Amino acid sequence: MEGASTKGVLSHLSLLEVQARSRKSRPQQPSRVKELKAKVEALRIQRDQLRAEIETHKNLQKLRASMDKQCSQEGEEEEEKMDDDSENSQLLRLMARHTQLKDLLNAHHIIGGYNVIRTSQGKGVCASLATAYEGVYLETYNVEIVLKPRLKISRHNVPPFIPLNSLAEQSNMQADIKTFLDALSKHLNAFAGRKQQLKLVKELHKSVEVLESNVLCSILVMLLTLPGEKSTVLCTLDYTDHTRLLPTSVHFECKDKALPDAPEWKKNCSLLMETPVHKALMSMKTNGTVV
Amino acid sequence: MEEKMSEENMEEVRVLEAQIERLQAEVEELQCQQQNNNKDITLQLGGKMQDAVSYLCGQTQGGLEEKVMSRLKEEVEELEEDLKRQTQMNGICLNSCTTKILQSNGSKRVQKLCVSGQCSELVFQVEFQLTEVKEGQQSERTISDLNVVMDVSDLQNFSSFLSGVEERSDLLLFFRTLRTFSERCDDRCRTFEHFQEKYPSVVSFPGDSRSEVMALNHPELPGCVLFVHWSVEVSCEGEVTPKVGLLTKIPEEALQLSPSQSLGGAAEAFQSLLRILGPEAAVESMIRTVSLSQES
Repeated sequence: MEGASTKGVLSHLSLLEVQARSRKSRPQQPSRVKELKAKVEALRIQRDQLRAEIETHKNLQKLRASMDKQCSQEGEEEEEKMDDDSENSQLLRLMARHTQLKDLLNAHHIIGGYNVIRTSQGKGVCASLATAYEGVYLETYNVEIVLKPRLKISRHNVPPFIPLNSLAEQSNMQADIKTFLDALSKHLNAFAGRKQQLKLVKELHKSVEVLESNVLCSILVMLLTLPGEKSTVLCTLDYTDHTRLLPTSVHFECKDKALPDAPEWKKNCSLLMETPVHKALMSMKTNGTVV
Repeated sequence: MEEKMSEENMEEVRVLEAQIERLQAEVEELQCQQQNNNKDITLQLGGKMQDAVSYLCGQTQGGLEEKVMSRLKEEVEELEEDLKRQTQMNGICLNSCTTKILQSNGSKRVQKLCVSGQCSELVFQVEFQLTEVKEGQQSERTISDLNVVMDVSDLQNFSSFLSGVEERSDLLLFFRTLRTFSERCDDRCRTFEHFQEKYPSVVSFPGDSRSEVMALNHPELPGCVLFVHWSVEVSCEGEVTPKVGLLTKIPEEALQLSPSQSLGGAAEAFQSLLRILGPEAAVESMIRTVSLSQES
């Protein structure tokens, strides 16, 4: 009697044990599978999304390239055929034009354009004047001009030694802003170029002592050292035309009164008149007249 | 029974895990491709452009197409207006600009740009490298390897300026000078055409009205021609100077027929007129002298 019930209890117990064990492992597996399946789905969506974006970019690039070709050749180019449906191709075309316009506007900016924008509800305009010398971009200056009742410069960051108001008058700013901006740009670029030349002289020619210069960089007095006796020549460069990068006159002063008339110094005088000062000094070092 | 099920599950798990690995590799490769695409400046899209991309990739809900389209259209129209404004103010019409990134790391970026367009009648194509180096808040930009392509077959003055500008990579000077040069050439052309209209029997051009020379034919003395030579010179610094001069072509017989003062000394007389009256008035007065001599 006892044997049968024990056997029953034992087998019941072992059945429970097995059930418990399998309950532990079986619920794990379905939810693990569910988890993995969800991850696979998510990755598939991510992959398809990336593929679609890359494809769109590719189509955009192709369309843009053919638009560029059309614009630069002005020819009767065959328009790129889109095998998309027409609404999507319209959107794509619009997008390609968007990138083209952005690039063209950026190009205007890079080549030194005035970046003219309207300000305060059309009451004025703001212009940027970029300066550069020998490929290096230097300061950018800004001018804000009010349009009514008369054209008037309201705000600017042009240095005071640039004759803003007289330039405005001379170039008849009232009639044509562009002429005024052109004249101002010429002055600013010449100033920036002379300033940069001075900076290069100080950087590249340590043996040359700069004795005098002014904020407008329209005068430069340097002490040049002669080879051998270590005596010096005082060299004065006058830039009286403020729209130019080269001096209008060169003057040498030396203990040896005959030196300025010597042929190699006449040549140096031409060098300084015709080439930017930092380059002229390089040539003068090469031809041995200064150290 | 449970063991068999757990075996199947393990098999499924293995299959799924393998799929995941493959998909992850694919996604990584695509992300890498996308990163490369993002280096292409032209396609650095933001704002409404990014909305458009999302729409095209099916990310946005249907029915939004018009909204995406109209917003983008609005932005494109604004950009077109802006371009018109810049074109007018800068006096330069740009047709195309393509950029290629040559190098791009944390602080330094080097691009190659190719810009083509025209300034009035002068067509150009310009290629250069633009280097941008970031140092803290400041950013230094430099142009190098400038190459300018222009049809300068009849612009000898300009071509020597061009080689100087290429050597020094003076991009901004090139465009400033191009504009001024173009304006002076247009002045000349307008003046020549004006005189041709006013004095059709006297004025003629060996080439066309865009040439440097205008011929004034003496109505009575067919071999006698006065040539007005109006050149526009460009110094290597970018100084643009119009130079007007008079050349006379007078056959021997004509010199005997008509008093030498009215034609022989013409060149010198013209230079003094130039100093007093300026180019247009001096040329006009020359033309009148030539045409009025009919009546004398």
